[in-house]
Amino acid sequence: MQKISKRVRPVNSVSKPVELLFHIILIFFCLCCVVPFVFVIIISFTSKQSIAEIGYSFVPKEWSLEAYKFAFEMGEQLWRSYFNSFFITIVGTVCTLVVTIMYSYALFRKDFKFRTFFTFFCFFTMIFGGGLAPTYVVCKTVLGLSNSYAAVIIPMLLNPFNLIVMRTFFQSSVPMELIDAAAIDGSGEYSTLFRIVVPISKPGIATVGLLTALAYWNEWFIPQLYVMGDAKHMPLQYLLMEMQKKVDFLVKNSSMIGADAASIVKTMPQNSLRMALVVMIVIPIAFAYPFFQRYIIAGLTIGSVKG
Amino acid sequence: MKGKTKKTLLLTTMVLPGAIWFFLLRYIPMAGMILAFKDYKVYTKAPSFWNNMANSEWVGFRNFRFLFSSTDTGKIIRNTIGYNVLWIILGLVLSVGLAIMLNEITRKKVAKTYQTLMFFPYFLSWVVASYFVLAFLDPTRGLITSWQMNNGMDVINWYHEPKYWPVILTICNVWKNTGYSSILYLAAITGIDGTQYEAAAIDGASKWQQIKNITLPNLRPMICILLIMNVGKIFNADFGLFYSVPMNSGSLFATTQVIDTFVYRTMTATSNIGMSTAAGMMQQLVGFVCIMVANKVVSRIDADSSLF
Amino acid sequence: MKKRLIASLLAASMLFGLAACGNTPANSSGSGSQSSQSTAGGNDEKPAGDGDVTPASDLDPVTLKMWLCGNNVSDDSKVLEELNKILQEKINVTLEPIWDTWGFGDNVVLSLQGGEDIDIYFTCSWTANEYNKFARDGYYVRLDDPNNNLIEKYASDLWSMLPELLTTTGACVNGKDGYGVYAVPGYKDIATQNCWDVNVPLLEKYGYTLDDIRNTDYFGFGEILQTVKDGEGKDFYPLLIEAAVLERMATNSIIVTGDSGTGNFMSYYLDPTDVSKETSYGIQLLNKYATEEFAKYAEKTREYYLKGFIDPAMSNADQANEVRTAVQNSGEYLIGTQSYSMGFELTATRDRGFEVAMVPCTDPYIDTTSAQGAMMAISTASKNPERAMMFLNLLNTDPEIMTLMCYGVEGVHYNKTDDGCVEFTDESANFKPWVNGVGNVTILPPTVEQGAGFYDRFKAYYDTAKDIPILGFSYDGSGVDAEMSAVANVVAEYLMPLCSGAVDPAQKLPEFLKKLEENGINTVLDDANAQLKSFMETRGN
Repeated sequence: MQKISKRVRPVNSVSKPVELLFHIILIFFCLCCVVPFVFVIIISFTSKQSIAEIGYSFVPKEWSLEAYKFAFEMGEQLWRSYFNSFFITIVGTVCTLVVTIMYSYALFRKDFKFRTFFTFFCFFTMIFGGGLAPTYVVCKTVLGLSNSYAAVIIPMLLNPFNLIVMRTFFQSSVPMELIDAAAIDGSGEYSTLFRIVVPISKPGIATVGLLTALAYWNEWFIPQLYVMGDAKHMPLQYLLMEMQKKVDFLVKNSSMIGADAASIVKTMPQNSLRMALVVMIVIPIAFAYPFFQRYIIAGLTIGSVKG
Repeated sequence: MKGKTKKTLLLTTMVLPGAIWFFLLRYIPMAGMILAFKDYKVYTKAPSFWNNMANSEWVGFRNFRFLFSSTDTGKIIRNTIGYNVLWIILGLVLSVGLAIMLNEITRKKVAKTYQTLMFFPYFLSWVVASYFVLAFLDPTRGLITSWQMNNGMDVINWYHEPKYWPVILTICNVWKNTGYSSILYLAAITGIDGTQYEAAAIDGASKWQQIKNITLPNLRPMICILLIMNVGKIFNADFGLFYSVPMNSGSLFATTQVIDTFVYRTMTATSNIGMSTAAGMMQQLVGFVCIMVANKVVSRIDADSSLF
Repeated sequence: MKKRLIASLLAASMLFGLAACGNTPANSSGSGSQSSQSTAGGNDEKPAGDGDVTPASDLDPVTLKMWLCGNNVSDDSKVLEELNKILQEKINVTLEPIWDTWGFGDNVVLSLQGGEDIDIYFTCSWTANEYNKFARDGYYVRLDDPNNNLIEKYASDLWSMLPELLTTTGACVNGKDGYGVYAVPGYKDIATQNCWDVNVPLLEKYGYTLDDIRNTDYFGFGEILQTVKDGEGKDFYPLLIEAAVLERMATNSIIVTGDSGTGNFMSYYLDPTDVSKETSYGIQLLNKYATEEFAKYAEKTREYYLKGFIDPAMSNADQANEVRTAVQNSGEYLIGTQSYSMGFELTATRDRGFEVAMVPCTDPYIDTTSAQGAMMAISTASKNPERAMMFLNLLNTDPEIMTLMCYGVEGVHYNKTDDGCVEFTDESANFKPWVNGVGNVTILPPTVEQGAGFYDRFKAYYDTAKDIPILGFSYDGSGVDAEMSAVANVVAEYLMPLCSGAVDPAQKLPEFLKKLEENGINTVLDDANAQLKSFMETRGN
């Protein structure tokens, strides 16, 4: 407590009672966000019997590691998939950011001759799409994307939403005068972008980077389409989702599949497994989060403390 | 003159990788939209997607019929648009509010912690979230149910009472999306040139005045863009929220049936690629019209904040 | 060279005398003897293409891709090595299996729609690439095409081994190239029998015996359920149901193939005393919810629900499935619903750790859905349909190949016990295909759990299964798809709550029926009955 009262409050800030109110609101909201996650962790350690008897509860009757044991039975494949997920997320995010930054920077430049055309070219795909089957056919048979890392990364390389958000970030943080000045100094278009614009747009880039990384990390449907059954390139989220779908499918179609289904389902801790898989997916990316956040909030500190 | 051409050329090369991607992975597949007007069958002489498509029979607007033939069509459209309008407004107010609050927290480490925690719901799928909701609302063992029983109150069978679900779904939606969208606003605030605040503080502007006169105007492009893009999805609904969270309970359809769930249930009954394409096209057209109108309105007010 | 092959195969097939769909009555008497032959035959039959028919060296080498369902395979290298050695020798084929898991669905449909280069697909009446619809839309090759009868040419052995009901009616559909066979039916548990799943120790604890359940029906369970409920306490729900199955069990109706997948709305009633007979309704599909049977059922179920026999969790689809599995395993129920397959009570007793008995509602019967429970179709996009047919013939008739595909390599994935049963090794964890989804299981050696002689008992049981009057019928709702859509959504709204007793039928049922009519259920039923009528005429009954 001593330490806190000694701390010097920045001059230009809201009054103490108001800040206290903000804290209360934010703490309440954060609790709402975290409690379900704690719940997920608890369920993941709950035994099957306990769920059968008292349902989903914050205080299980009996704790158990069976869900994790079941998941870790996959052994090597699990670690391989962890590696794949990291690889796909990192390489994918870098590629996406480079392409997105270049495209959206050009859109941001009001003096770009084809600005309206390319803005519309991008925007139109946000609204209209041909649907799943044609996209699948183009990727798989026309572009030959199958069973490789590229087959997971390329289909989700660009997202028009992020592209337009990025352009908006440029609009609100990069003054046109800066670019004009650089041009007068003889800086080329590429060097202006990467030496001048990118460094001052870090919060925006970090945000889009974060959203992109999360998208790559969480994606299971695209891997399902393009690296199905390919153990070498299968990312974690797909591996775990497949495990989950297997259980759901068996439970739903047990009357068609017969005795086999009941036996398989019996060996699976279905409910706790679902939650354990969530925990296994979220923990690594949650650790990566502060990396991006540094840029998002670091800027904050400079902006408001100085005053 | 030469410099200008060179500039255009260089900027075009920047756009090129993305433009090629859009062309290959978004524009070519758009040819598939004609499936909405066809009865997709295999062309057995040389079966390939394009051959099948080209040789399938034209059926006019037949694939669109199912969207309008149900006696519930009105209710479904009302639900879809109603929830979207409510949530666009609510989401905007709450996430901008949260972003500003976070920005005003003087201890940055605490702010970072808050922000990290607020992002957690984004990691939980709707299926997982639905179990959390179930823990409260389970008809026999839920927390609320037990509490009601212990206090001798009437037990509400939540999964058969549609009237409570607009509130429940709204809470779920706010819980899941507010943290996510506030990060966009927070980053936009962070990008604001700090000297503006310094100057204002020297002029004696209070913090409230600074928020009103500096933060909000600077946020305007981001608010407008996100608003426009959300309006474009007015005819789409978050499938997982409306399907998984109510545990797919039929009794709740009055307030939980939306276009996406209706189409999904139709597809499990009669899987027909033409019909699903038709439904998608319908949603896209409505979205397109809405976005164009919204963009027009925004560009009247503030040309710089509009989409194009 | 090709000519010689075809000629010799043709000659072979003529000797066997084929019975495929739509054949004249003269042939059907012949197929009767074949089915008895298949019961006795099996392991010792000589597979086709074995040296004396055509030397494999006369055939061009081809690679076949085969998409299977429900597998748990992480390493098939040893199996493929062995398998392809045999296949190359016999028919010069290299097999590339795609071991899809239970997540089967999205991919297979996209692959079919996209015309991918895959030769053989698993298909059936209950997955996303539903047999009838996909045959209609031209995705599968007609195998008994009069102009190019692949079965006659390359799969006569197989055809003579399969039960007649499968080959003549069960597998025949109105596909793109006319009424015929579009996939090889798997010989697995081909009959349906709904049973009451009884928790025996609990039943006996309250002084009842299985006869007390056998001698009554759903409508007479009240007393037993009440006694057990009183004894076990407030939180105990003696009746464990799967709402849609319970409805069929209580009213003796079946799943009409082609009915809405979201929730069935057509009923065809069986005569519980003899499933092969027509009921007083005759050959007719009815609005499930407008019959007296349903009204009586809904009323009774509501009564049971209010008395606390049914867990309220059973009334919303998603929760019901999960709770049911959990409760089955913990044994906190008295009577459950179960769609039976042979040997289920043994597996259930072993898995759950208490004695489980199955009390059947009717005799086992074969309907379209169960006859089409697991099949292998040749894609119209395949470049080698003839070779695919030869392979399927071999797979379903050659025990060595079938065993390799299902159980792996002897000495690696399993060992044989003295009485010829299969005992799995630890290595088999990497290779666990879904046996029923591969093909003719009756040529497999039994596993240790199944015990020696299992497949004789298996055939004996399924041979007693009778075909229901409308076997082979499947409804094509594509002509009235808008009405199907509207009705399916209405059914999804009311089915579960009504069938599980969660809502009052006196109030909800009339509302439901009115809404069904407004959304065009009668249009759909008229269409379905017209199709049924013309089907029965085609089939020649």
